[in-house]
Amino acid sequence: MDEKELIQRSQAGDGEAFGVLVERYKGKVFSLAYGFTRDRAAADDLAQEVFIKAYLSLPRFQAKSEFGTWLYRVAVNHIKDFLRKNRERLKEIPLQEAGDRVLASADLGPEEERLREGQRKIVQAALARLPEKYRVILTLRDIDGLSYEDISGILKLSPGTVDSRLHRARRKLREKLTGHLGRQGGEHGL
Amino acid sequence: MDCKKAERFLLRSLDGKLDPEKKTLLQTHLEKCPSCQRKDRDYRMILSLVRPQTVPEPLPYFKERLLAKLEEKGKTAPALLWVKWAHRAVAFSLAAFLLFGAGILFFRPQEPRELSQTEKFLLQDENPLGEAGSILDQQEAEDRNMMLIFASVGDRDVSRRYRP
Repeated sequence: MDEKELIQRSQAGDGEAFGVLVERYKGKVFSLAYGFTRDRAAADDLAQEVFIKAYLSLPRFQAKSEFGTWLYRVAVNHIKDFLRKNRERLKEIPLQEAGDRVLASADLGPEEERLREGQRKIVQAALARLPEKYRVILTLRDIDGLSYEDISGILKLSPGTVDSRLHRARRKLREKLTGHLGRQGGEHGL
Repeated sequence: MDCKKAERFLLRSLDGKLDPEKKTLLQTHLEKCPSCQRKDRDYRMILSLVRPQTVPEPLPYFKERLLAKLEEKGKTAPALLWVKWAHRAVAFSLAAFLLFGAGILFFRPQEPRELSQTEKFLLQDENPLGEAGSILDQQEAEDRNMMLIFASVGDRDVSRRYRP
């Protein structure tokens, strides 16, 4: 069954057809949510909520854009709401502490792997401190690897704005990390 | 090329969006600029760290759990609809009450007030010329004078004035 038919049947309330769409897109939606939360259970909850919202909004979907782009837009808007509501909680771990927690963990193996994981946590903590618009665009491009065109469609921005906002976001992230990765980054530290 | 432009090219090169000519220019700048070399290293390192090493799968039975929730929502939908309409009815009643109250406050009928002399002349047909005419019509000077005196004392009730 092609996607158009699945969408039409889902719009008419066919749960089975919607189930097929869920199977097709659950990986992408979950991955997007995971990119923001880095928590499997939270990402799973968010992805479920996104699909529920999408199902309830489906009668208003007019196929002006691709279904995938529309679904991503629903997901991004829902995740933005989640981030706004949890802003303080998500920011509470200081940058260096985020890395130190990993370094103190006995579960990780070789030294280099622990250092790398520590740096990864610091970068995630810095990313969580960025203004929402920069965080969203960095996640879509640098974590999910979406093209400029897809991002432009999802965020309803011109390609030029995507380009400039992405560059500004990367600069801001680097500024936030200056001095924080040095201790653990060895010769490549910032 | 200055460092600002080099950084712009650098960021674009991370997405593979830099044409060969600009790439060569950037490369030439990087070879002689330690500050931009550091930026280049930083951006590439951050890019490699920002991506999670692995993305796990959603929790088991993702679709089944979702469809069960949707079915549950479908069952409760009429109730939800009723609640939604009830909320709207309450809001509507409140708005109507406020509008009614505001209407009473701003558009209440005014207290009857005493008419001015001109309004009396116009609305109650108390034409002073008519009265003056009847005074001037008097043949007897005494009667005319008496009527003028009574009219000038200001008794508003014309019926109580002097009549010969």
